[in-house]
Amino acid sequence: MRVLTVDDSRTILAMLHHTLSNAGFEVLQAEDGQQGLDVLKKESVDIVITDINMPVMDGIEFIKNVRASGQHQSLPILILTTETSQDKRDQGRAAGGTGWIVKPFDPEKLISVIHKVVH
Amino acid sequence: MEALGYKEDGATGAAAAHNTLQLIAFSIGEQTYGVEITTVREIRAWNGATPLPNTREFVRGVINLRGTIVPIFDLRARFGEGPTSPTKNHVVVVMSVGDKWVGILVDAVSDILTVSKDDIHNVPEGNSGDTELLNGIVTHDSRMVGLIDLHAVVSGAKLDS
Amino acid sequence: MSDLDDFKATYFDECSELLTELEEQFAAIEAGDRSSDRLNAVFRAIHSIKGGGGAFGFSALVAFAHAYETLLDHVRDGRIELSDVVATLCIRANDIVADFVAAARDGAALDADYGADEKAQFDALTRGEQAAVGEDEPMEEFDIDFVPVMVDLEQADEPDDFAAPPLAVDDGHWEIRFTPHGELYARANDPLLLLRELAELGEISVKAVLGHIPPLADFEPFGVYCSWEITLVAPEISEADIAEVFEFVEGNCDLSIVQLGALAEPRAASAAIAEAEEVEPEDEVPVLSFAELAETLQPTPPKAAPVAPAAPASLGASDTDDGENDRRSGPDDRRNGVQSIRVDLDKVDRVVNMVGELVITQSMLTQQMDETLRARYQELVRGLEVLAQTTRGLQDSVMAIRAQPVKSVFSRMPRLMRELSLKTGKKIRLETVGENTEIDKTIIEQLSDPLTHMIRNSADHGIEMPEIRQAAGKPETGTIRLSAEQAGGNILIIVEDDGAGINRERVLEVARDRLVVAPEQTLTDEQIDQLIFAPGFSTADTVSDISGRGVGMDVVLSNIKKIGGSVHVKSWPGRGTRMTLRLPLTLAVLDVMLVKVAASPYVIPLSSIVETIQCARASFSRMPTGGQVLQVRGEYVQVVDLAQRFEMTSDTNPDSRFVVLCEAEGGVKVALVVDDIIGQQQVVIKSLEENFQSIEGIAGGTILGDGNVALIVDVQGLKSSVTHQNAA
Repeated sequence: MRVLTVDDSRTILAMLHHTLSNAGFEVLQAEDGQQGLDVLKKESVDIVITDINMPVMDGIEFIKNVRASGQHQSLPILILTTETSQDKRDQGRAAGGTGWIVKPFDPEKLISVIHKVVH
Repeated sequence: MEALGYKEDGATGAAAAHNTLQLIAFSIGEQTYGVEITTVREIRAWNGATPLPNTREFVRGVINLRGTIVPIFDLRARFGEGPTSPTKNHVVVVMSVGDKWVGILVDAVSDILTVSKDDIHNVPEGNSGDTELLNGIVTHDSRMVGLIDLHAVVSGAKLDS
Repeated sequence: MSDLDDFKATYFDECSELLTELEEQFAAIEAGDRSSDRLNAVFRAIHSIKGGGGAFGFSALVAFAHAYETLLDHVRDGRIELSDVVATLCIRANDIVADFVAAARDGAALDADYGADEKAQFDALTRGEQAAVGEDEPMEEFDIDFVPVMVDLEQADEPDDFAAPPLAVDDGHWEIRFTPHGELYARANDPLLLLRELAELGEISVKAVLGHIPPLADFEPFGVYCSWEITLVAPEISEADIAEVFEFVEGNCDLSIVQLGALAEPRAASAAIAEAEEVEPEDEVPVLSFAELAETLQPTPPKAAPVAPAAPASLGASDTDDGENDRRSGPDDRRNGVQSIRVDLDKVDRVVNMVGELVITQSMLTQQMDETLRARYQELVRGLEVLAQTTRGLQDSVMAIRAQPVKSVFSRMPRLMRELSLKTGKKIRLETVGENTEIDKTIIEQLSDPLTHMIRNSADHGIEMPEIRQAAGKPETGTIRLSAEQAGGNILIIVEDDGAGINRERVLEVARDRLVVAPEQTLTDEQIDQLIFAPGFSTADTVSDISGRGVGMDVVLSNIKKIGGSVHVKSWPGRGTRMTLRLPLTLAVLDVMLVKVAASPYVIPLSSIVETIQCARASFSRMPTGGQVLQVRGEYVQVVDLAQRFEMTSDTNPDSRFVVLCEAEGGVKVALVVDDIIGQQQVVIKSLEENFQSIEGIAGGTILGDGNVALIVDVQGLKSSVTHQNAA
């Protein structure tokens, strides 16, 4: 199973990579929404995990673009967020996000959330 | 000669209180020099080296030290006293300078000295070559021991520099 | 633990970059630029520092960064004006964040109230603003992740509910009605997964409510026709546990969760996550198995597909059997997932090195076999042949482990391209080709900087401004093409642009100014092009902040040489420039010819050797300057006597020496004269720079079978230093 992780923080990307690849996922990485879109144009993935606050193209725009592309309506997208204040999360969902993960995440929780949204 | 492994946590190391310095002393002709013992990684007999082109006279070449290539500096030549004509009795002292390992070709390793830091004298001004290559001078058994500045010794190895 | 340490190291690296970025942003802000881009960048930097800090539990850092971030968020929104006072406070805050980061890194303790004053000022600012606007924003974002459960007030009025244990109900029977809306599917949520998750809570039976499914002719592809009634038998779970299953679809479905009392008394504690809407009861619908359930979700009508015999009653039970496994990884994952393990790169490198040594030992053994031995010990010869084959195979396999697609570097370039377009005001399109070409991981890691430099160079010096392009009859948008391909034992990485080409007059002028080229010396166009790699060379008329800082393409050359590669540039005036990086497939092993120069062993990479000729049979001619040329097949080739070049004395009879004719980058030939040719073999490349420094004309070292060091001749470097020598 392939996961695309999108975050401008190398720390978070590294931790996601570690956790996910230990769980047997193949991990692709992008540092902002635009890069994420570039990856999705060429690669097929089973799930996307994206940050919201990013340069170039933020997570909300990224999700909107993914959903608008026509090919990824059923691609699960998890929003990575530290904001528990709901509004970012709601914006993310309104844009088409499937669910969310609260940072800092613990590895088991991360995997179980993923299994909530992919087969 | 068998290569001597140096153990940092050996009994001699424990004896080094904060105000003393342990040196490996070696000789070039009549003169004794020393380097701090903690920088020394290995002492081995001279067994030839592959010469390096386009380097200064004091770069003897490179040797294979367990799979890595280590340059050898001829300390006599570095001091401007002409190249050493090494024999099997000559010794290479391998030490770490920064994150690099280098070997120094000397005539013989004589002793391990414990000196007090307070006894280190500055190198007398005058000969820039001496002040450049030595960190200080200590006296041991009424012999003068020059403390080698390794960084200075290994610098300026290329012909054009 | 070491993983965590690695992450921490990454985090602190990142922090120092972010702190630098903060400084840069504030320098611009202080200079009067208060654009939202700046403020967003500042916000993101603090946000990232906080986020990572949270992961490692640096609570003091997180608390301070949080207060600061809140202030920045308000500034960003325009709720607080970025006055000079606020800007000054922010700059002080950056220093404090830096101190917190340093303390976290070094495990040092700061005073408990460190930064408290500033923090109080942030809070006062944000609170003051809140009082003014009358908004009530929660100050603490780092609360526990909980799911709000709405409590039905009518139910709450009943004292029974308070008496009932709020969390655990013995033998809990729950009835769940779930009607997805269209948005639920639009967000890629999947009812099947929700049901699967419910099944992990306890024993469930599911009824699909199919009454709303229209006849096939009226079927809309994205229509939502199905809802479900679920009975869940799960002791010791709470409503919140069930609600959590549906947390991602909150608001995108109608959901009612009703607990059926142990005495079958419908004591409903309705956790209406959304407006509970009564689902019309359906009478004739059988309980479906998951397999059948899946069928109802397929676009094809359920009955058209062959369905496994239904086993309705055992549904819940059979699923709980391997429920534990399901939670971690579904059976599908185990079947389809890429079978892989993670291995520490150091361990792979150790294997690579040992295989390298093995290759050398094997070639050494093979060399020991002379004719007499061959004739006498045929079994040994056969054994050695098998050993050679196996060693080769082993080597290839080990190298394959380290190989990675160049994609990982290429994928960073579009972003760079966008930045460059913005900065230069040029319109540039980046094309990438051959991203799946694989190359040694270490080489890939070393590739990012040179490629960045080359692309910057193309954007800065190659591609013209749109108006100029138009005037030249070219499309307004320039193209930079980045491609990778395998060519024999090498990987070629090519950066090509359709820009103005190298301005040779200007290059030559600068090169003469800087004495890289002697005034009277004439150079071919090709030689002029290569000058852009000369140290300290930069020709931009105006030094831009993109590529013209004096450190230029010579850095590219030295970086590429370090990994055993070479660079060649070719330019067509007005039409563009092509820079080609030629890289070894792998760092470690090289096929070479072992030669003797004076008494020392040298090796020459086989890939650059065209042929070898005995000096007695070669035709040399003397040039007016004293140099020699070799005439070979109608071509005149520059001769380099390696002994002379390396300042050693050769006492070999001149006629029994050899010429090794080599081809450098760009097809330029050079004839190396050596004292003896010993043979071909494979060697493991070792760095001279690890413990020493680079030496002109030498690409590295290697260790021979007898333990001695041999030096690797840098054909490319010799060729270009010949040009220099003549120039001087």
